[in-house]
Amino acid sequence: MIEPRWVCVLLISSALLFLGIFLVLPLIVVFSEAFKKGVEVYIESVREPDAAAAIRLTLIAAAIAVPLNLIFGVAAAWAIAKFQFPGKSFLITLIDLPFSVSPVISGLIFVLLFGLQGWLGPWLSEHDIKIIFAVPGIVLATIFVTFPFVARELIPLMQSQGSEEEEVARTLGAGGWQTLWRVTLPNVKWGLLYGVILCNARAMGEFGAVSVVSGHIRGATNTIPLHAEILYNEYNSTAAFAMASLLTILTLGTIALKALIDWKSQIDIREVSERVSTEG
Amino acid sequence: MSIEIRNIAKQFGDFAALKDVSFKVETGELVALLGPSGSGKTTLLRIIAGIEVPDGNHGAILIHSADTTAIGFRDRRVGFVFQHYALFRHMTIFENVAFGLRVRPRRLRPSEKVIKEKVNELLKLVQLDWLGDRYPSQLSGGQRQRIALARALAVEPSVLLLDEPFGSLDAQVRKELRLWLRRFHDELKITSVFVTHDQEEALEVADRVVLMNEGRIEQVGTPDEVYHHPANAFVYNFLGNVNLFHSRVDEGKVYLGEMPIDLPAENAQDANSALVFVRPHLLEIERQRNGGDNFRAKVTHINAAGPLVKVDLSTDWGAPVHVEISHERYSSLGLKREDEVFVRPRERKVFVERQNGIDECRN
Repeated sequence: MIEPRWVCVLLISSALLFLGIFLVLPLIVVFSEAFKKGVEVYIESVREPDAAAAIRLTLIAAAIAVPLNLIFGVAAAWAIAKFQFPGKSFLITLIDLPFSVSPVISGLIFVLLFGLQGWLGPWLSEHDIKIIFAVPGIVLATIFVTFPFVARELIPLMQSQGSEEEEVARTLGAGGWQTLWRVTLPNVKWGLLYGVILCNARAMGEFGAVSVVSGHIRGATNTIPLHAEILYNEYNSTAAFAMASLLTILTLGTIALKALIDWKSQIDIREVSERVSTEG
Repeated sequence: MSIEIRNIAKQFGDFAALKDVSFKVETGELVALLGPSGSGKTTLLRIIAGIEVPDGNHGAILIHSADTTAIGFRDRRVGFVFQHYALFRHMTIFENVAFGLRVRPRRLRPSEKVIKEKVNELLKLVQLDWLGDRYPSQLSGGQRQRIALARALAVEPSVLLLDEPFGSLDAQVRKELRLWLRRFHDELKITSVFVTHDQEEALEVADRVVLMNEGRIEQVGTPDEVYHHPANAFVYNFLGNVNLFHSRVDEGKVYLGEMPIDLPAENAQDANSALVFVRPHLLEIERQRNGGDNFRAKVTHINAAGPLVKVDLSTDWGAPVHVEISHERYSSLGLKREDEVFVRPRERKVFVERQNGIDECRN
C-alpha cells in the first residue's frame, strides 16, 4: 500500500457518494414515487387510456425508426468503411449531425418543413396530409434523432476489420449480397446488436425533438416521455412517475442486454481458446 | 494456362504505380514479381486478379489467350492468396475452404457430400486435414497460409496469384514453407505468380523472376540469368549483397582509390562518373601489395559466426567495404581489427553514367 489509509477511504467514499447521488438515488426515487399509493394505483395509471395510447405510440415510433435506421446504418457503414469515394468525410459529418444539433432544433426543422406555415405545408394541407402534430411527425423526428447510432457503432468496427475478407469472398466467386450476408454481417454481429439496442433506447426516450412536433394531444400524439411531463405539470406525480418508471425499466433492460452481449461475445472468444488448450 | 500482360499502366493520384508493363507467364510456370516496396508489383498482381482495374484502354490481361480485361474478378477463375491470409475469422477452417463452393449459383453448387469430400481432399493436400473444425485464430501463421492456399484452390482456378505469401512469417517457417510451395507447385503444375521483396526467396523458388522498380520491369529471366547477367545497375544492386563504389572517370580510367580500372573506348567517351559493383565473395584480402590491381583498406569489424567470415573494412577515401572469405583464408591471414590490408577484386561490374543514362561496360 503506497497511499495512506485515509486517502483511500476519502477517494472511495467520495466516488461512492457521487454514484449514490447521481445514479442510485434517482432510481430509488422514481420507483418509490411510482408505487407511493400502492401497486393498484400504479397499474391503474399505466392502464389509463391516455397512458396506454402514449405507450402504444412510443412502441410504434420505435418499431418504425429502429428497423429503418438499422438498414440505413448498415448501408452507410458498409459504404464508408469498405469503399473510397469523393465526399466521404462530408457524409460522415452528415451522419453525426443529429448528435451535434440540439433535439429542439431538429424538431423545429420538421415544423419549418412540414408545418402549416412551412415550405411544404400548403401542398400537404391541399392533399389532406398531416405530419406535424400527428403520428408521422413523431416518427420522422424519432428517425432523425436516432439516425447515427447504428452507423456510428459499425463504422470504426468495419474500418478496423478492413476489406480483405470481402475481396477474398469476391475472388472466390461470391456476389455482393452473398458477401454481405456471409462475411460482412457475421463479423460485426455484436456491434450491430449493440447499436440497435442504443438506437431503441434513444427512440423510446427521446423528448426534445418529439415535443416540438407533437402538439401534446392527449391520447393521440403523446409519447411516454411527453405524457410523463404533462402529468407532472398537473401535479399528478404518482402517474407521472409511473410513466417515468416504464422508461427506467427500459433503461435497466438496455443495460442488462448490453452486459449480456458483452458476456456472450467474451464467451465466444473463451470457447475458442478453451478448444485450443484442450486439443492442442 | 498462360497469362499475358500487355501494356498495363496504373496511376494512383499523382503516383504512377505501373508504367506500360508487358510480359508473359507460360503455362505451368512459377514466376516471382520481385522489387522493392513501391515498385508496383502488388498493384500488378491485383490487376491480373481483376481486383484493380488498369488505366486507359490500350492495356490488356490475357489468360489462356482470352482477353479478361473486361471480365470482373468473379468470373476470371483466378485464385488469389492475400498477404495476411484474410481467412474468414467467424468460420471454421472447413467452412473457409468450402466457401468458394457454397457461394456458387444453385444449379452449379455441388451437393453437401461432394463439398465435404472436396474440402477434405484439399485439406489433405495442404497436410492440415486434422484442423477442419478449428477457427483461424487458433492456427499458426504457416498453417493459416496453407489454409488460404487450399481455399483459393477450391474453386479450381486456372491461375494462382500469391501476394507476399511468406511476408508475415518468421524466418524458420518462411524457409520451410517456400520449399513446400515449390514442391506443391511441381505436383500441381498450376500457372502461378507470386510477389516478393525478398531476392533470396524469388531466386530460390521461382522458374523465372520479373524484376520491377518504380513501376517498370527492369529484367525478366531465370534466377541464374538475372543473378549472373544482371541487365543494369539496379538489378545488380538489388540481387544480393554487393559493394557499390561511386567513382569519377578520368582519361578513360575509373579509380578505386589508387587502383585504376581501364574502361573500353566506347564507354569512356563523355562518361561523367562510374558505378563499380563487386560481390563480397569476389573480393580478396591480402597482406602485401602485389601489383597495382588492389586498394588499401582498414579492418573495422569481423564476424566469424557462419559458414563464411564476414569482414567489414573502410577504404582510404571513406567508403565501407564488405568482404566474405573462407575460414581457412581468415586464419592464415590472422586478421584483427584495425589491421591495414589490401583488397583485390577478382571480378567486377562497371556501369558508366552519362548525361542520358547508365551504360554497362563489357569487359
